[in-house]
Amino acid sequence: MSKRDRDVRMSLQTLKVLEAFLENPTDELSGADVLQRSRLASGTLYPILLRLESAGWFVSRWESIDPSSAGRPRRRFYRLTPTGLRRASEVFASFGRGVLA
Amino acid sequence: MDGIAHRLIHRAARRAPDSLSDRLEEEWLADLASQRGSIQRLRFALGCCWATNVIAHEHAVAALPVAGSTAGRGHVIHAHRDDPFFTGRTITFVLVAFLHAALLYGLAMGLGQQFSKIIVGPLTTRIIEPPPRSTSLSVPRATMSSSRIILPRQDQMPTIESDPPDVIKGTVDVPVHPPLPPQLAAVVNRVQGGPGIGFPSTDDFYPDASIRLGEKGLVTVQVCVDGKGRLTSEPTIVQSTGSSRLKEGALRLARAGSGHYRATTEDGRPVDSCYPFRIRFELRNR
Repeated sequence: MSKRDRDVRMSLQTLKVLEAFLENPTDELSGADVLQRSRLASGTLYPILLRLESAGWFVSRWESIDPSSAGRPRRRFYRLTPTGLRRASEVFASFGRGVLA
Repeated sequence: MDGIAHRLIHRAARRAPDSLSDRLEEEWLADLASQRGSIQRLRFALGCCWATNVIAHEHAVAALPVAGSTAGRGHVIHAHRDDPFFTGRTITFVLVAFLHAALLYGLAMGLGQQFSKIIVGPLTTRIIEPPPRSTSLSVPRATMSSSRIILPRQDQMPTIESDPPDVIKGTVDVPVHPPLPPQLAAVVNRVQGGPGIGFPSTDDFYPDASIRLGEKGLVTVQVCVDGKGRLTSEPTIVQSTGSSRLKEGALRLARAGSGHYRATTEDGRPVDSCYPFRIRFELRNR
């Protein structure tokens, strides 16, 4: 376990974000998708996403569209890394999913 | 509303660390478009403003050298920044709180009303009372017509048979004479009362709404007052050229004046009476 992994704070909000990704770990989710699933406020969500991405739990990429032709900005998609998936699974195994029920 | 949300996000992203500013702005604008409803979008944008603060704070803390850490990018940081005691947010909060307190104080102390008076201009309200008039009343003097009891003569007396001697039985004719013509000698000097000393100022009863709307008018109120200048019944509106608000203001004024009315006098003696008086509500602009 690297220091970066170890230093991620596990708050209830962070667990809700991870739970949204663990519903289907291979899915790529935008911030709006996570907002909808986790019911968090945007002011809470985006710092958590950046924190987890910095810790190596997530990777992100831009949506593959041309904003000018699509007429809207590109979305940013987040996906669990193998490390993130393993760590998130460990966290939920230790806490128990009933925490978020 | 959407314009406000876009501006908030743009502003929030500008305040983010330079390395994240463009990314966050594009990402947030894309996610903003996914929000349903103006309120939801505004809430999202406000949340982004808050997120910027958190991200900027974490970014700044992570950039500080941390004792015992070689990476300097740990996510649990035990170092503390020397933040200024009064941040911009604190100053803004204090200013907003001070403005609210000042506004509440002003409302509580009636400064708003004074301010409106300055805008509207001085009010002049005159109570127009009818000129005192001496009324000569012709009061018919109550006179008792003298009644004569005409007893029948002795030879016309009925025969008393079995009745006790102390009971007289017979017809008694009490002729009723026509009343004498009324005597017009009684002349009473009557002076009608009105608002007296200490009567409340009508400026205090000019309805605020009427002042704002520029309403003016003349209201005639009927009051019944006892000899001490106190109301003996509820005042009523006799006539009005103004709005219902002015009528209500006139009634409140009439009620508040109880005890300060000048009683009607008859031959100098205060008596109970009812009389009308007029209240003029008018605004005089500078």
